Amino acid sequence: MAQKSTFGPREAPTLGSPSRALFGKMLKEAQLSVAERDFILEALRENVRLDGRGPDQFRSLNLSFGNEYGHVKLQVGKTSIVVRISAEVTKPRDDRPFDGLFNINLELSAMGSPAWENGRSNDLEAYVTHVLDSVIRRSNALDTESLCILKGVSCWSIRADVHVLDYDGNLTDAACIAIMTGLRHFRRPDAVVRDGQVIVYGVEERVPVALNITHNPLSVTFNAFNEGNNIIVDATRKEEQASEGELVIGINNGGDVCFLSKFSGAPLDAMEVVTKSNVALEKVKEINTKVDKIMQVDLARRAKLGMADESRAENDR
Amino acid sequence: MATPAANAAPSVSPSLSLPPSQFARLQPHAYLLAHLSPPPASNQPSIRANGRAPSQFRVTSANAGSLTHTNGSAVVRIGDTTAVCGVRAEILHTDDIASWSVSSSSTSNSNKRRRLGEKTTDEDEGQDENEEDRAHIEDLNLLVPNLSLSTGCAPGFTPGAPPSALAQSLSHQILSLLHSTRLIRADDLRIWYQPPNLGSEALERHNESQQMEIDAGQGSEESDPQEIKAFWVLYIDVMIISLAGNPFDAAWAAVLAALRDTKLPKAWWDIDNETIICSDDISEASRLSLRGLPVASSFCVFEADAAAGWRAVVIPDVNDQKAQNQRKKGPQQKWILADPDGYEEGLSQERATLVVDKAKNGKNVILKMEKHGGWSVDTEDLRQLVEISGQRWDEMKRILDQC
Amino acid sequence: MVEPTASLSTLNRADGSASYKCPATGYDVLGSVNAPIELPARRDALKPEDATIEVFVKPGNTTAGVGERYVEGILRSVLTEVVLGRERGYPRRGVVITLAIVGGGSVERGDSYLTVLPALLHTSLLALLSASVPLAMTFSSALLGVTKSGDIVRDPSAADAKAASSLHVLAFSSKGHLLLNESEGCFDFDTWELIRERAVSICRGAAVSGTGEDVAMGERSNDARLDGFVRETVEDRLHVDYAWKIESN
Repeated sequence: MAQKSTFGPREAPTLGSPSRALFGKMLKEAQLSVAERDFILEALRENVRLDGRGPDQFRSLNLSFGNEYGHVKLQVGKTSIVVRISAEVTKPRDDRPFDGLFNINLELSAMGSPAWENGRSNDLEAYVTHVLDSVIRRSNALDTESLCILKGVSCWSIRADVHVLDYDGNLTDAACIAIMTGLRHFRRPDAVVRDGQVIVYGVEERVPVALNITHNPLSVTFNAFNEGNNIIVDATRKEEQASEGELVIGINNGGDVCFLSKFSGAPLDAMEVVTKSNVALEKVKEINTKVDKIMQVDLARRAKLGMADESRAENDR
Repeated sequence: MATPAANAAPSVSPSLSLPPSQFARLQPHAYLLAHLSPPPASNQPSIRANGRAPSQFRVTSANAGSLTHTNGSAVVRIGDTTAVCGVRAEILHTDDIASWSVSSSSTSNSNKRRRLGEKTTDEDEGQDENEEDRAHIEDLNLLVPNLSLSTGCAPGFTPGAPPSALAQSLSHQILSLLHSTRLIRADDLRIWYQPPNLGSEALERHNESQQMEIDAGQGSEESDPQEIKAFWVLYIDVMIISLAGNPFDAAWAAVLAALRDTKLPKAWWDIDNETIICSDDISEASRLSLRGLPVASSFCVFEADAAAGWRAVVIPDVNDQKAQNQRKKGPQQKWILADPDGYEEGLSQERATLVVDKAKNGKNVILKMEKHGGWSVDTEDLRQLVEISGQRWDEMKRILDQC
Repeated sequence: MVEPTASLSTLNRADGSASYKCPATGYDVLGSVNAPIELPARRDALKPEDATIEVFVKPGNTTAGVGERYVEGILRSVLTEVVLGRERGYPRRGVVITLAIVGGGSVERGDSYLTVLPALLHTSLLALLSASVPLAMTFSSALLGVTKSGDIVRDPSAADAKAASSLHVLAFSSKGHLLLNESEGCFDFDTWELIRERAVSICRGAAVSGTGEDVAMGERSNDARLDGFVRETVEDRLHVDYAWKIESN
């Protein structure tokens, strides 16, 4: 890590012009060496990736759940994320009395990468938040109208907190998968309205309710190399650093595109957007199938545990 | 570091001794140590560089009601540290509280609409009352303290900067102390609606002011539900306008004095206008009835061995250390300094803060005791600090009663 | 009493990391340490002959607020005493400790932060060990509550802590010094002495407690000492790391 090995001579004070000082203060990820970059590009030219994957292949997806509903731990290769979903009752916004609230919260801390400074936002944070917001929140994946309890008085506020534990590239897609999984896994307490009074039932009293998910959009990020000749999915951190540009497609199982961004970097052939949309659709279907399977196993296990608890409670009586 | 030489050079006969103020800046640790442990021959008492005895607090003064446009305010000066506190009360309608119309099924909704007969008097608080107090004040966030270290209160506080970690941490300490001491009664903050009874007696009662609630408590045959319509939210803003060490004691004393000064206008729900009406008659305004008088005292620990950090660290076992201390009654190794000023705070790591109140029998009740940043203060020292804080309580009570 | 569980070096990017779960209070804390690291943004605030310790606490499902700043201050002041910031390579550099509360309830605004404090302390210690930061000592910490009826309970749950008449967090160094005491609520000094005795027996076993023999006996039969727990966690990790060497012997 470059931060550890900067024992070199002190920066000369003359370098510190105001604007430079501002940027010089930001910590940076360790730069790729020229040799490493050339190696990655050269290998890609022969359709070989450092970890032996094909260009359209994701890293292994490792998904597990915590004790609570909506607590998801996701590992995509060495990128590791924890998402927690929480719900509370609040007052709806005045201009949207029928809508509940939904927020995605992402704060990068020094845990994920030594290059990120605690308590300061950086470009990556703003960018990923923007993509997540567009793909999940703005595409109305979570039906906010279903969160309304009593018009203009109370509604559910759902909050997704993303904790990045390890960063090794492709933060956007990983966070997207984790949040969507969390939302589908989460169960909020049941609430009913009785003469103007909202009654929230504890988890022990009534079976908690799943959220109303309208569709399952995920983002797929493509990275381009060698003048757009090589385009890969799920880049690692090193591949991202060697990449010349990226294309993000947010798409759901039905093939509806809900987000498309050619955000930065070198220009890309327009036809690629079409062909890559097909790849993205395939990937999203593949990932969603996998997530479904793991989640069903977990929910079945919980149901069984719940049943066991119930019978035990009855025995106690 | 070149200053002494440069300063000394122009003078005709270079003197080998430095004026005290320069010595204090160049060798702060040695300077304070020399004051605290004077050579035995000199026959001087051990005294701090600021002239105080180790357990002596700075001169404290308090002035309540200094700000006009607040419900209560106070200025507290402890030495050169000055805190201004203003309490502003705002009405929070229950309709605007999202969680108000929500009840979880496990706890019955009895705390929302109480019957008059259940109303307990202030003197004899039941367990339920305590729990309800806590629930209302804490869950609805009726107390909102905020502390700011104003620009220029000490070098290094620049304008436009976000609240420093110190300011945020002090805000939290004030809030958590307000909660844990349960200083303010939720009942003082509730605004009720009393539905008029058809009986003329009740109507008359309705028109009466304070007497109403007390009377109603006795007249338990009355079964009309009395309803909470709104709460007073107290915004407690503290501004440290001059910081010379120990901001917490000053800030807390200012909060306490301001709350003692706070008067809330009489307010009630007017059914015809469907709104809260406040009386502008000052004679009808009522003071808060606070629970006790928690007084904060802070201390820092000054250790003789400043260079300890430089040497290979040999940390003695607790038991060894005690034996050692008993064996050689050598020079004192540490001093616990009450109410440290900025200079002393800079020279010490270990801090202790106590908040004590006194029970009716004059016994010290500890409401908060914290120490961190070192390993020298233990049971015996803390016991002494409780005593010192008890004395400080007497002093502060006198000051606050006069203001 | 269910003992806490922990594992070291669970993360890839950070220099040192630890995960800590306390079943009694339900908290699950992940800690990472980056050290020594350049802190270029605060060059003027760096100490010329000492390391700067930075602590960042990230709550699980709320935004960090004043409570986090406060607990960060306490952690920093304890850890500054523990880390040997004058060792080679550390002066003028930072030791950045990041603690994420990934499991368990959230601490609301104005709530007491004491219930999480021992978990945060233990996690940061283990993460520091994992990052091989030179330390002057290790420590262990206990959370105790006094109920309304005057009983002392260990690791009260969030609901119990709210109902308790006082809450105490104590930390003892590996040599038996009282490193930290945070008490709030309403209590007298005699109660605190009992608390201290109980905390010593939880953290350091019966060896050092003089008078509280019967309490210590009970503690000893049921529980392992907490400072032993720290040692065992490190031993477990060493066993994994040096498996190749142990096997070949």
